[in-house]
Amino acid sequence: MSIVLRNLVKTYGEHTVVDNVSLEIADGELFVLLGASGSGKSTILRMIAGLVPVDSGQVLLHGRDVTDLSPQERNTGFVFQNYSLFQHMTVAENVEFGLQVRKRPQAERVVKRDELLALVGLAGFAGRYPSQLSGGQQQRVAVARALAFEPSVLLLDEPFGALDVKIRGALRRALRDIQRSLRVTTILVTHDQEEAFELADRIGVVDHGRLLEVGPPAELYRRPQHEFVATFVGEANLLGVRSDGGRVRVGELTLPLPVRLAEQDPGIRWAALFRPEELAVAREREELSEPVLGEGVVEEVLDLGAARRLRLRLQPIPGVWPLGRDFGEAGVALLAALPWKPGSDLEFRNGDRVWVGVRGYHLLPRLARTFLILVDGTSGSSEALEQGFRLARAMAASVTLLCVAPTQSAGERIVAELREALARQKPAPAFKLRVGDVVEELAGETAREAYDLVVAPGRSEDVKARLSERIQSEVVAGITSERLVGSSPFPVLVAHGPRPELKRILLCTAAGEPGKLDVFFGGQVARTTGAAATLLFVDGPAFGAVSAEGGDGRAPDAWKRRFWIERHLEQGLQTLAAQGVQAQVSVRQGDALEQILAAAQEGEHDLIVIGGHLVQTWADLPERDLSIELVARADRPVLVVKGSFSR
Amino acid sequence: MSESRDADPAAAPETAPPAPPSAVGPKRGAKRRRPVEWVLIGLVLFYALLLLLGPLASLVWGAFGEGVSRLLAELTTPDAVHALKLTLILSVAATVLNTLLGVTAAWLFVRDDFRGRRFLNAIVDTPFAVSPVIAGFMLILLFGRNGWLAPLADALGIKVVFALPGMLLATMFVSIPFVIREVMPVLEQMGTEQENAAQTLGASGWRTFWRVTLPGIRWGVLYGVSLTFARALGEFGALLVVSGSISGLTETSTLFIFRTLDERNTVAAYGMALVLALLSFSLLMVMEVVKKRTRRTS
Repeated sequence: MSIVLRNLVKTYGEHTVVDNVSLEIADGELFVLLGASGSGKSTILRMIAGLVPVDSGQVLLHGRDVTDLSPQERNTGFVFQNYSLFQHMTVAENVEFGLQVRKRPQAERVVKRDELLALVGLAGFAGRYPSQLSGGQQQRVAVARALAFEPSVLLLDEPFGALDVKIRGALRRALRDIQRSLRVTTILVTHDQEEAFELADRIGVVDHGRLLEVGPPAELYRRPQHEFVATFVGEANLLGVRSDGGRVRVGELTLPLPVRLAEQDPGIRWAALFRPEELAVAREREELSEPVLGEGVVEEVLDLGAARRLRLRLQPIPGVWPLGRDFGEAGVALLAALPWKPGSDLEFRNGDRVWVGVRGYHLLPRLARTFLILVDGTSGSSEALEQGFRLARAMAASVTLLCVAPTQSAGERIVAELREALARQKPAPAFKLRVGDVVEELAGETAREAYDLVVAPGRSEDVKARLSERIQSEVVAGITSERLVGSSPFPVLVAHGPRPELKRILLCTAAGEPGKLDVFFGGQVARTTGAAATLLFVDGPAFGAVSAEGGDGRAPDAWKRRFWIERHLEQGLQTLAAQGVQAQVSVRQGDALEQILAAAQEGEHDLIVIGGHLVQTWADLPERDLSIELVARADRPVLVVKGSFSR
Repeated sequence: MSESRDADPAAAPETAPPAPPSAVGPKRGAKRRRPVEWVLIGLVLFYALLLLLGPLASLVWGAFGEGVSRLLAELTTPDAVHALKLTLILSVAATVLNTLLGVTAAWLFVRDDFRGRRFLNAIVDTPFAVSPVIAGFMLILLFGRNGWLAPLADALGIKVVFALPGMLLATMFVSIPFVIREVMPVLEQMGTEQENAAQTLGASGWRTFWRVTLPGIRWGVLYGVSLTFARALGEFGALLVVSGSISGLTETSTLFIFRTLDERNTVAAYGMALVLALLSFSLLMVMEVVKKRTRRTS
């Protein structure tokens, strides 16, 4: 590996510019970092060159840890967007600079300089000054200068950004040829996806300081894993859908999840991606040989010369919501590309009614989240708001506030107060007001809309103080919180007690808990909040009954048990590592509930994450549900993660 | 000389009036000047002649008024020669020191972000705001009898007030801002990319400064240097206070002029003034020539 980046972080004040970036680049590879301006891609490049100090993480060049070395000691060739040639030196002096610094003999310098100037197509320009060259020529000189001393890697920061389109194309090809002939490992930073696709062996997409996805250009275009990547790389029609038993329905279409995803289908939401060229358009349904998506209207015809594009609008499709920037309010807006065929007279006009078919598709897990915060007027609501908004900010979720009150007027008063109190809160919440029983209204709301997390008020200290020991758990947590947790189809965060910060998370994978989704979700929380995670396993009586895979109720042999625990923990750690979370492991002996409570107490954890059973009604609950017992007993926030995932 | 110049504004309006009537064509529209512009141009010329050339002419007149031999005799007296020498020594020393300190300060102000940077940056201009006489007086308060820093100077065995060190300090004080203020914008405009490029190419910080930064800011430095030197040559108020004006010892050219004028020896005074003016003028000229020549090559 020529370049290895490990967990690079850079923050300026409150602002994280580079967020935990890890990357490996092979020898001779041309890697492109693609991102919008301000995404942090240039900072990553400058950290590799040593021009920006690293807050934490490591930079390795050819196996050598250069994290704490100065730019001079790293031997990297760097090309800047604005060329930054030395204006008072000739082209020759510029190119020779790196060699001169390294005290190479004059004869060698001249040979090398002429060789490189010939390589970049500027032989005979040695005596000129930069001010006598065009922008494109200056950038060629900059490339020659960066390569003259045979650097270990070549780093280019938007090298063609300041040039016009024609010259850019020519320079791009020249760069590609030079890079191939010298086999120098190269990272190029750009915001231009055409440039990225033309040059890259692999592309890394950067957004808000995070390296979202890495892959060959075609892979990123056809099978992106992030919505952002799907929309940033090429044009995308993205529809939000929900999976149901390993498949997704979009109107008349049924799209099976790929095997890899069907296995771990947590029943969450997905985004269906159709590239414009994957849509077929015809006047009559019968003309389409492809599966039909629906009927719609042509809103705009864009003639781009080589291809024509149609902006279409389909009738609303139940269970499908459009995602992405281009989508309006009503119906489903689509962009379709029509290949230009000689002699074809398939003309569409604005307002034409058409049928839309699908040639190909791609499904990606939907990561943009919406949280529902439940406000019922009890004093625990303020904790729910505080913890809910904190998590929403970290996980980039939007927030809906569900206010439930006994009467309409009381509800309106609560909403008015909240609006005022939360006027400057981010993200700006949406408000919903319901009158009636908290649990029933929540059940109604979650049946209508999908949420990624429900945040419910828990027992707070002041309420606790006013209630006697006996009724405290029964009234506040025992009834409401438990019923909420039991009946919610979505993960629930019960915001017990005030928690000024979220620093340590306890992930419970106690035996008998229903899945990996809790680890997955807990990992997301840890990753986005930067909290430290501890993976807890409780080896106790409950475990013995469940893990006897023969099903005869007998406790397994000690070594088998040991092996099972190790494997279980290793899987958990793998799941976390895949999300970029390094977790500690803790194994305890005894009753699961007691041990979890004790571990949380000892480790001063700010959040307990545990898997919960997904059941249809309160009555369907198993006799003993650890998550509900935990919610009833815990003195700190508990996140119960639910999903239809089953082993 | 002034008469020949006077002819210019007079001649110009004469050639211009035909222009407005004939300038109906759009071709000459760019060259057409409105009456207001003529008035403004005349005003500037008048102002320049009156304030810049007028005094110079009278200076020349005064210096040569009694013949060249008398002028040479006055300028070669031991006092005059010593005064001129002293002025040159002070000016060169002050310029060298202020250039070194000024470039360093400018570099720190622009490239570094240390505590107190803004405060320092703000007080750099105080020599412009404080009268030189007061500056000299402050030096006497500091280093004179019972001054705050007098014990230090005594311990080092240096006589500051009424001696060369005090005069150097005074000259440096009044000319501090020039290099800093000339170099800062040039440094800022140059940016850090070229320096970064030099670093990635392997050049040490020292080498980067000499090979990249300094050549990049050389015009700013040169301009600052010439302004500093010119200011140092002409310094009077602060030196008058701090030097004690002992002829043949601490008397600089400007102080020499002051004394000889007082003694009604106008030829010596005007002659010395002319020498100083010529020095400053030739410095500016040399700079212009160097600037033009190097600009042509790059």
